[in-house]
Amino acid sequence: MDKFASLQFYALLKREVLEHRNIFIGAPVVVALLLFVAATWVATQISQSDLAEGLRFVSALFDGLSPFDMAPFIMLLAIPFYLTLYVCSVIYLINTLYQDRKEMSVLFWQSMPVSNLQTVLSKIVAIVLVAPIFYVLVIFVMYLIAMVWLTILGISNDVDLVGIGYLFLAAIASLVLIYISTVVTGLWLLPSVGWLLLFSAFAKKTPLLWAGGVFILVGFLEDLIFGTQFLANWVASRTSNPDQYLIFEFQSVFERVFNYDTLFGIIVGSILIAGAVFMRRFTD
Amino acid sequence: MSNIVEAKSLTKNYGSFAALDGVDLTIPKGAISGLIGPNGAGKTTTLKALIGLCDVDGELSVAGRDPRIARHKLMEDVCFIADVGILPKWLKVSHVIDYVEGVHPRFDRKKAEKFLSTTDIPANKRIKDLSKGMVTQLHLALVMAIEVQLLVLDEPTLGLDIIYRKEFYDRLLNDFYDGNRTIIISTHQVEEIETLLSHLVFINKGKIVLDSSMSDLSDIYTEVLVDADKVAQADALQPIYVRKLLGKKSYTFESVPREQLKILGELHTPSVADLFVAKLKEEKHG
Repeated sequence: MDKFASLQFYALLKREVLEHRNIFIGAPVVVALLLFVAATWVATQISQSDLAEGLRFVSALFDGLSPFDMAPFIMLLAIPFYLTLYVCSVIYLINTLYQDRKEMSVLFWQSMPVSNLQTVLSKIVAIVLVAPIFYVLVIFVMYLIAMVWLTILGISNDVDLVGIGYLFLAAIASLVLIYISTVVTGLWLLPSVGWLLLFSAFAKKTPLLWAGGVFILVGFLEDLIFGTQFLANWVASRTSNPDQYLIFEFQSVFERVFNYDTLFGIIVGSILIAGAVFMRRFTD
Repeated sequence: MSNIVEAKSLTKNYGSFAALDGVDLTIPKGAISGLIGPNGAGKTTTLKALIGLCDVDGELSVAGRDPRIARHKLMEDVCFIADVGILPKWLKVSHVIDYVEGVHPRFDRKKAEKFLSTTDIPANKRIKDLSKGMVTQLHLALVMAIEVQLLVLDEPTLGLDIIYRKEFYDRLLNDFYDGNRTIIISTHQVEEIETLLSHLVFINKGKIVLDSSMSDLSDIYTEVLVDADKVAQADALQPIYVRKLLGKKSYTFESVPREQLKILGELHTPSVADLFVAKLKEEKHG
């Protein structure tokens, strides 16, 4: 990619973040604020000595463990963010190409020397690679505030600060794992990404209804004509197990990406994305 | 003079409705061309086809490219302004400038900012908070700052008051048009652009009914305010349009020598609006 093409792609990504700032920044900030309010309320219900005792217990857990060993447990604290990103991604993908046409701004975007392929790719990169960065940053700020509070609590109650330091390192390691998990999940769910983008580019109205309706119709026809439920089973096998969305060890990244199931999904997703690029040609 | 637009047999159907029905069109480089037609005539479809936003059948070349194959490459040489609604409402003025600077290799930011400094448009306002006139000014500022061969305008001043409309066309002529660039304007407000045009295209029901340079129009079309005693003579010359005017009859003739018409009464070159009505009526009555 030449220098101008890189700058062009950066401009496209910046556009996505600005246009969908509620999804990229607003949503994780709201979740963080809700968790902060909940944590503050819980803290007010427990005496300071009990809190200090709990902190001593957590610090002691690190005896003989590295922060990386503890990271998976801390990852679980980020599940609300993870679910929020998942829901926001669906909303983003189904609306992103449709909204341009609905408000007629597609004529402006298309009047620029940017190909439909660049546009669609920028949307995928924005939600799969860029959005998780914002979520991780918000979680980082939340952890930082929590650590300051725990440190003050620790100092005022003679709790070993080394344990709190380890806890912070484990939190940082968990952020890396969260980011990797979301990106690998993006690849794993690429068929869904392509499907939603296809109907976002195609539908004149209610794209979500189209995406869901056509899926049900295809599944129904498959059952009716062939007597099989391959499509439904395939989708269920890719969406029903929460383990598929989380990576607890750095070592497992390679095997999660380079396996038959994921690569097959990437091929199917790429075909659907090509369909979305084709449909994007039409502005009516 | 070579042509920047060459279209042959363009067709586009929406179901059973033919939006374009075998459109043949040539627009010379450096022309200011008006595309005039009633509602639903196919103006917007034609313009969208020219910039690759509408899939049409037929042969089409714009600035030496087929817009259906490489729209994004074509848009390095072509700019497009539709009516004021198309700039994304959620963007701030400064963001729009950042975006165009980021994606367009021929955008000159300083030029755009210089243009904007002559307006009341604040950089930190969102598009949705600007008046229609300001949005058009902003869009014009962006276009002025891009070095392109062809500017396509689809009803660019729709909904604007007369001050903004006049300023828009003044700026277009003084700051954008340099004799080499080509402008295609589609509008209902024919009278406003009549004096700017060097080329004229009428479209009706998806068909081109007139494609001529303005200089040729006066040679081809003549309007005669016919004296009452010469009506029979005028009728015999097969006018394309007759209307009553100030108690007399005004006849519009096509390709009838002026020498032959002189004896009928006072001669004029018809205005674009009158010619437009004449051509549409002619088509209607066959």
